[in-house]
Amino acid sequence: MGKLLVYLHVAVKQRAFQSLLSAGLPGVATTAVGRAADFERALQDAPDAVLSLPIVLAANGLTPVLRGFAHGTADERYALVGTGAPPEAGKVASVGALDLLGREGTNKFVRRLVGQQARVERVTKIEDLLPLLQVQRVEGVLLPSRLVGDLRAASRLALAGRDLDQTVALPAAASRGAGAAAVLATLGKMPKDLSKLLGVEEWR
Amino acid sequence: MALTRRSFIVGVPALAALGCSTGQEERVGASRDAVLFSTRSRKPGSRSVLVCMPETRQTSEVWRGLSDELSREFELIALRTEGGDASATIARGIERYRPAGLVLMNNPTVDGYRRVQAHAQHTAFPPSVIVMSSFLEGTPAHLRAATGISYEVPLITVVTNLRKLIATPIDRIGVVHRGALSGFVRRQAALANREQTAVIREEVSQSPNASEIKRALRRLKQRCDAIWVLNDDRLLTPRLLADGWLHGLNEPPWVPTIVGAASLVSPSQSFGTFAVLPDHTALGTQAANLMLDIADNDWTLPSSGATQLPLSTTTTVDLTQARERFALRPSALAQVDKVLER
Repeated sequence: MGKLLVYLHVAVKQRAFQSLLSAGLPGVATTAVGRAADFERALQDAPDAVLSLPIVLAANGLTPVLRGFAHGTADERYALVGTGAPPEAGKVASVGALDLLGREGTNKFVRRLVGQQARVERVTKIEDLLPLLQVQRVEGVLLPSRLVGDLRAASRLALAGRDLDQTVALPAAASRGAGAAAVLATLGKMPKDLSKLLGVEEWR
Repeated sequence: MALTRRSFIVGVPALAALGCSTGQEERVGASRDAVLFSTRSRKPGSRSVLVCMPETRQTSEVWRGLSDELSREFELIALRTEGGDASATIARGIERYRPAGLVLMNNPTVDGYRRVQAHAQHTAFPPSVIVMSSFLEGTPAHLRAATGISYEVPLITVVTNLRKLIATPIDRIGVVHRGALSGFVRRQAALANREQTAVIREEVSQSPNASEIKRALRRLKQRCDAIWVLNDDRLLTPRLLADGWLHGLNEPPWVPTIVGAASLVSPSQSFGTFAVLPDHTALGTQAANLMLDIADNDWTLPSSGATQLPLSTTTTVDLTQARERFALRPSALAQVDKVLER
């Protein structure tokens, strides 16, 4: 059985995500991790393929061979969300973001999107972005625009968001072992609802 | 003030039989004062950070989050601090490793470090970050150069989690508390107000009996949509749990009960409907980020020095009780970390 390592942040708990992956990718042994350090450790376990954001793959010397697409493009918009008025990229002083690449890498990624002036507060789960706004630790949080609705649904704060000009590539998969071809073939036929959870409509 | 969950387990045999988590130490046979863990940075001349901790599953998770973040930058040494000689262990650790910063885990460790500082009034101490210490708020007044992260999950986070699970509106939260925790409850209520949540308080005496707890719960349940149980060991004694809380909660009208200890959620002994607990690995990461900010600030505390609130939580549900008594949202189970069912 081919082994797939998945490092993506989704709007359900890790337990539920792992079970959706196992059910949606028959014949593939999937391991889902949510922290950058866990991802680095899991890479040592010789997975046949890795599914993550292309920036994460690139940071680990991996090249995407199967890309996710939505609305005909392999990129998606990100939004900056705050309370009251929407925060402005280039001016926002503090930003909460998912820790994708560790401290240095994530700071660089976030500042590329919102400006060099921003202090970055990293969290490991999508659900942890809202507490940053609730306890007023940051002026805004950065997340894929498709998840802004979930954030609003979870809160009664007056949340206001603004899409950013720059886009970020959607999840993609890279080969790493002998069983990659079979894993990627199954991945390409992932059920629609599971793909949607990753922000993807089709795999090419 | 730390909740003695072990005594709860002893006092409620049905839960003890289930083997619920008690936070007991996992002894590995090493001697006291032993270095539990250490990591070596690849950076030449890197500073050291001393981590003082008892050895439990939870502290090991905090260590994991800490070391994942800090081990590239600093030498990390984790010392076991347990029992009456915690202060001597910490003093020897500071003397030996000359740390640039300290991380202190749990109340006895913090108390041990307080005694170290008390014996050296005119000595400068490195900045320290406190975690897993009950009801830590504001600027820790009993220690010099200390900050930290509260261990109590803020009510605003508890309510946000609960609303994702329960289909009926959650607008008013009831809480039973002693006068000593009035200030804490008021501050939590002010924060929760941002999410349009009202807090209804029932204050009981400093040493309440079971009838007082039952009476307070009955009054609250008429007026609120959920009960929030504080981790106050004076209110959670085995006798009060068995004769007060369990009676008061296990009678109509049913309202969801949120607790802050995993051992208080069990399908065979209906007490907490949900437990919302700090995610210990994420707590370690948060403490590491605080330490990195201190390092960036030339090893001095940020100007406010105020403690932070924990950001990340895990949720456990007693699904048997929740299904019997409440309407769950269709997506509820995708939003919980642990499901317990009879």
